[in-house]
Amino acid sequence: MPRRRVFNPLTELLAAALLVVLVLVVNTWQFSLAVLVVAVLPGVLLSGKPRQITLAIAVTAGPLLISSFFLHGLFFPEGTTVLAEWGPARVTAEGLQFAALTGLRLAVFTGVLLTAALTVSIPELVSTLTHRRWNRRLVFVLGSAVGLLPHVAERARQITRAQQARGLVVGGSISARVRGLLMVSVPLVTGLLIDAAERTQLLEARGFSSPGPRTNYLPDTDTAGQRTARWLMAAGVLAFGCAWYAVGAGR
Amino acid sequence: MIRLECSTFAYDGGPVVLSGVDLAVEPGGLVHVVGPSGSGKTTLARLLAGQTGAGSGAQFRGALTLGGDRLGFTGGPADPRIDPAAWSSTVAYAAQRTEGQLSMMSATVAEEIAFGPANRGMPTGELRAAVQATAARLGLTDVLNRDPRRLSGGQLRRTIIAAAVVGNPRVLILDEPFQGLDAGSRAEVARTLEVLRAAGTALVICAPMLPGSVAPHSRVLALAGGRPVFDGTFAQARTAGLERYAIGTEGSAPDLRRAPAAPAVPPRRQVQAGTPLAELSGVSFSYRGENSRRQEKVLRGVDLRVDPGDIVGLTGVNGSGKSTLLQHLNGLLRASSGTVTVAGQPLGRRTAVGRLAGAVGYLFQDTDQQLFERTVLREVAYGPAAAGAGRETAQERARTALAAVGLGHTAGEHPYELGFVERRLVAFASLIASGPAVWVLDEPTAGLDQRGRNRVGDLLLDHAAAGGAVVLATHDGAFADALCTRILELKDGRIFSGGARRGAGGA
Ligand SMILES: Nc1ncnc2c1ncn2[C@@H]1O[C@H](COP(=O)(O)OP(=O)(O)OP(=O)(O)O)[C@@H](O)[C@H]1O
Ligand SMILES: [Mg+2]
Repeated sequence: MPRRRVFNPLTELLAAALLVVLVLVVNTWQFSLAVLVVAVLPGVLLSGKPRQITLAIAVTAGPLLISSFFLHGLFFPEGTTVLAEWGPARVTAEGLQFAALTGLRLAVFTGVLLTAALTVSIPELVSTLTHRRWNRRLVFVLGSAVGLLPHVAERARQITRAQQARGLVVGGSISARVRGLLMVSVPLVTGLLIDAAERTQLLEARGFSSPGPRTNYLPDTDTAGQRTARWLMAAGVLAFGCAWYAVGAGR
Repeated sequence: MIRLECSTFAYDGGPVVLSGVDLAVEPGGLVHVVGPSGSGKTTLARLLAGQTGAGSGAQFRGALTLGGDRLGFTGGPADPRIDPAAWSSTVAYAAQRTEGQLSMMSATVAEEIAFGPANRGMPTGELRAAVQATAARLGLTDVLNRDPRRLSGGQLRRTIIAAAVVGNPRVLILDEPFQGLDAGSRAEVARTLEVLRAAGTALVICAPMLPGSVAPHSRVLALAGGRPVFDGTFAQARTAGLERYAIGTEGSAPDLRRAPAAPAVPPRRQVQAGTPLAELSGVSFSYRGENSRRQEKVLRGVDLRVDPGDIVGLTGVNGSGKSTLLQHLNGLLRASSGTVTVAGQPLGRRTAVGRLAGAVGYLFQDTDQQLFERTVLREVAYGPAAAGAGRETAQERARTALAAVGLGHTAGEHPYELGFVERRLVAFASLIASGPAVWVLDEPTAGLDQRGRNRVGDLLLDHAAAGGAVVLATHDGAFADALCTRILELKDGRIFSGGARRGAGGA
């Protein structure tokens, strides 16, 4: 069930991007943690598809988090406060702190961006950009790129269904699941490539690349208030960033 | 006016697939292009739609004329390039594959229909009015707010047609627009096309068979093996002996090897005593909707018993739930209440679909959902291999199944390189190869040519005679009448008996 949309997608995407900028500027683990708890967590929980988003975050950020933790936690040359030591590996307080900092930052990035990307309504975004008279080609390249995600998921689902209908048994052990995934990915990629060629032609045949202004079926959900808010937010973050560096807290 | 003169056309490095065609359609004209599988209909439709394949190495020698401009092609690099945006502003084209035409940028059917005119800048107010009017004419008003990826086959087909007609194109090319439509929808589509034609649109409709009835003044161009074999009025076409090119007439009875009047079916009462091959009892189902308001039940307490020798025909309008019901038989969908029993085993929530494949084979409504392998042979051998047969055995069975559908010669090809009918038959062969007792077929004859349709009919009769059973959803009444032992109608989520057929008549 999709959540009830409060803001225009453009506003939401901008807010997400600005949050990432803020985390980069402030660059302390306390702030990252606060953002994670105050913004990302509720965002994921209220998104209407927490499981899907959590999975996406785990898949993208998980391996990076783990490797960063081992790398910095165990081998941090600048570390002085040694907590434990096995041969060349030294666990240092500084290393752990650094790992926590980068790890949290990474978690915020992926959390914010994936939540925004996976919950944004693509048609509404495309419609807003069209109504705002953005470059039409850019809008549609953007739209189709984002629209590809659900399309790929749908194709994968179809292929699994077809394979199951012919005797593929998925589930059970992890290795069986991995094998199932491999069985899907090869036909998925070939299928998508074939699809893409044909679809491009058929979209062209529906005026996809016609010159001149474009309109949209959906009404404009953007409001003057939100437009102002977007400018204010961007200006605010910019001002804050400058101030932060000027005061020298950004060391 | 649009005119295609095609001396030869060949896809990249391939043989000539279309030659000697000269087709001109005046404003308000209607041409039916008919021909069996592989006769070049889709190639012709694509050429008219301006897809000369210049970028993909195809060789087109001939000319295309639109309005007053004639573009000549010699198959060389100096050939003119057609600007798809400009061409498509006059010539609308709805291709045969429906799913591949979705824009992927629309969350609702309404946006999908609006996609074309919106790309051309039709003002929003006008756009909404046009979309709503078109949807009303094609019976799509109720699904305007639905996700186009979650429609029934016929609803999707109508959406694609709506998207093609909404901009009032001056030329309209439709590749099998009636495939998978129920009788009512067919009439709606035909009426919509007639309105356009009367207003001056030039129409070209491709189909594997001669239509049962047509608008007056329409012309027929018959193709066979890539060449025109007939060009004339509809009345002439009916008496021109097109059967010799395997071009049948829609709605005619299939021509079967095994006489269906003498069914090799055991008497029903005796069968009733044994265990059914599959059984649904009190099955209800609703899709967990994208739209939480729409939780209405698609199936409401359906009972169905399938015994050896049965050929059960399932009819019902588009969106009545035929495909939904069929998917319960092999576990792709799980009943919200009621029980499903396959081969004597009740289906649990956790029974893997794959475990049923040996007992129930499934032919998807959309072939392209079903094929996923690199070669035809691998595709067909997938089932037996998944069931644990060795490589050799699996391939052997695959070859046998391919021969049964008449496609032994395509084993090495890529399924996507085949034409629609052949792909359909490959999907069918892949079901046969696993050797299930129950065949569940979702519109097995949709889009088939006469030869394919007859062959499928024969296969079904043979299978039933050998003690298997078939359940098929279909809009092909003549086919169902000729083959089915029972015909059931699905309506408002319930099953109604359409009267006992062939088997009961003989018993
Ligand atoms: N995946 C899905 N999610 C949600 N609703 C669906 C889905 N598939 C089908 N429906 C809806 O369920 C109803 C029954 O669809 P179904 O595909 O079973 O119809 P059908 O009888 O096979 O129609 P057709 O003759 O057009 O193939 C329709 O209203 C359809 O829009
Ligand atoms: Mg169906």
